[in-house]
Amino acid sequence: MSSILSVQNLNKSFGNKHVLHDVSFDLKKGHIVGLVGPNGAGKSTLMKTMLGLFNYDSGSIQIAGETVTPQKHDALSKVGALIEYPGIYPFLTGWDHLQLFADGDHQLIHIQKIIQQLNMDSYIKRKAKGYSLGMKQKLGIALALVNFPELVILDEPMNGLDPQATKDLRDLIITESQRGTTFLISSHILSELQRLAQDLLIIDEGSIVQQTTMHELLASQGKQTIMLMTSDDNKTRQLLKKAKFTTTPDPRVEVVAKSDDTMPQVLRLLVENGIDILDVTRLEGNLESSLLEVLKQSRIKKKLAEEQAE
Amino acid sequence: MWTLVRQESFKLTRKLSTWISTGCLVGVEILFAFLSRVYPQTFVPASMFESLYFARPIINFYMIAATATIITMEFQYGTMKQVLYRRYSRGQILVSKWLAILLYTLYWYVMSTGIALLLKAMLFHHSLSIHQSAGDGMSVFTRGLSISAASFVSLWLLLSVVFLLANLFRNSAAAVSVGIIGYFASYIVTQLLTILIQKWDWAKWNPVTMTLYPSMMSRPGYYQSLLSMQAWQMLLGNLIYIAIFLGIGYYVFNRRNV
Repeated sequence: MSSILSVQNLNKSFGNKHVLHDVSFDLKKGHIVGLVGPNGAGKSTLMKTMLGLFNYDSGSIQIAGETVTPQKHDALSKVGALIEYPGIYPFLTGWDHLQLFADGDHQLIHIQKIIQQLNMDSYIKRKAKGYSLGMKQKLGIALALVNFPELVILDEPMNGLDPQATKDLRDLIITESQRGTTFLISSHILSELQRLAQDLLIIDEGSIVQQTTMHELLASQGKQTIMLMTSDDNKTRQLLKKAKFTTTPDPRVEVVAKSDDTMPQVLRLLVENGIDILDVTRLEGNLESSLLEVLKQSRIKKKLAEEQAE
Repeated sequence: MWTLVRQESFKLTRKLSTWISTGCLVGVEILFAFLSRVYPQTFVPASMFESLYFARPIINFYMIAATATIITMEFQYGTMKQVLYRRYSRGQILVSKWLAILLYTLYWYVMSTGIALLLKAMLFHHSLSIHQSAGDGMSVFTRGLSISAASFVSLWLLLSVVFLLANLFRNSAAAVSVGIIGYFASYIVTQLLTILIQKWDWAKWNPVTMTLYPSMMSRPGYYQSLLSMQAWQMLLGNLIYIAIFLGIGYYVFNRRNV
């Protein structure tokens, strides 16, 4: 699968402070990628640099094969973004904003579609100065998506959204990614990101600590488990052991899922051996604890490397 | 580029202040036209027509404010990022703002000239002819137009400084203050300028002298000898300074982090 965004050996400093260190990664088309890391890790700087808002010291940023710099960024025609907080002109209506930033053919159709998808009909013709935080946030997201770009970069998109709006946005992101749009989402609401992101970029102290898939991260931390209730738990345990599945020592029947194929393989094994399956639950790992573990390990490694260097 | 200019103009037309200030300017012109009709000895009709019924100073203040805010509002409302992370280069974005302000300046001048002609036709139909001589081989109408043209150029000298300051400080108060001080500076320091120019001829090429271009067009004989300059030299000086200030502003805008 080809890459829509390629960042290679990106370095960025503010004066003497080196904030991005040899950042390299690629985003595959149609994937939802989470950009996670602690405060001050460099997420916003990275996003702003990719969008041509900051100059960079060295490295390259390419969107669909075209280089992006603050001076030249034609490739940003393929990108929609919401960075930090939505920029709203208080004297314009929401509709005016969308009209202002809508580009290319079928502008009116695009505007109406995004308004409908984000349920903004009731206030879109009102002046933005009277909008609540959530309304402004939705408008900012609508502005990022109004041209139905190939790559969407969203920084804390769930900020200020109520549960219904969060669900609407989640559904919209999933629908658009299935149509081939790539999303790079930075969020501190990890539970929400866990439900959305397929891939993860973990950044700490200006460096990419790990580029992985959500499944791999959760599995690597040993947190993805399949819990079974069967007509014969003892026989099930023996069969699983014989078939070399990893089980937990828990009195319940639990299998560690090492890949997406684990569950169908287990179910097939039990059915073929005449065991009735009463209930199956996938005990999903937790992104928060997995992320904290990765960051902890990374800092330990870094400290050891520094000590060895001294 | 024209998409960007259209977008900037769209923002201007959606601002309530644009329409309120238009109403105010029309009101000022009507007020001074009536004063000129009622007190022709104090408010001489030909001079008042040439001054577009006091519209030009008002236009200058409006344009200084509009120029400062077309840049600083993007920082104030946090919209600068959105404006920049599109396919357009920074240079195109800044030039589109220049062009929008140029069109806006033209709007004010055309509108105020139209209103002045209308008021002249309504209130001074029999008492004032725009073709009557205003001295120096000019009619009242052509004198008015030449002052307007000079005023337009010298206003743009101020606006180029306002653009630069708005870029540097992201703060409309600083840019507006300097613009307004610049507007009055030439009148305040004329005497000092005259002394300096008489002592050192090259001193006439400073930017403050250039802002006296409209005054020179209204009293050519007086100012030409006072400043040791011809009208074409003033025009050239204005254009060079406009290019310099806009050029510095362009450089700053292209380099800064947002």
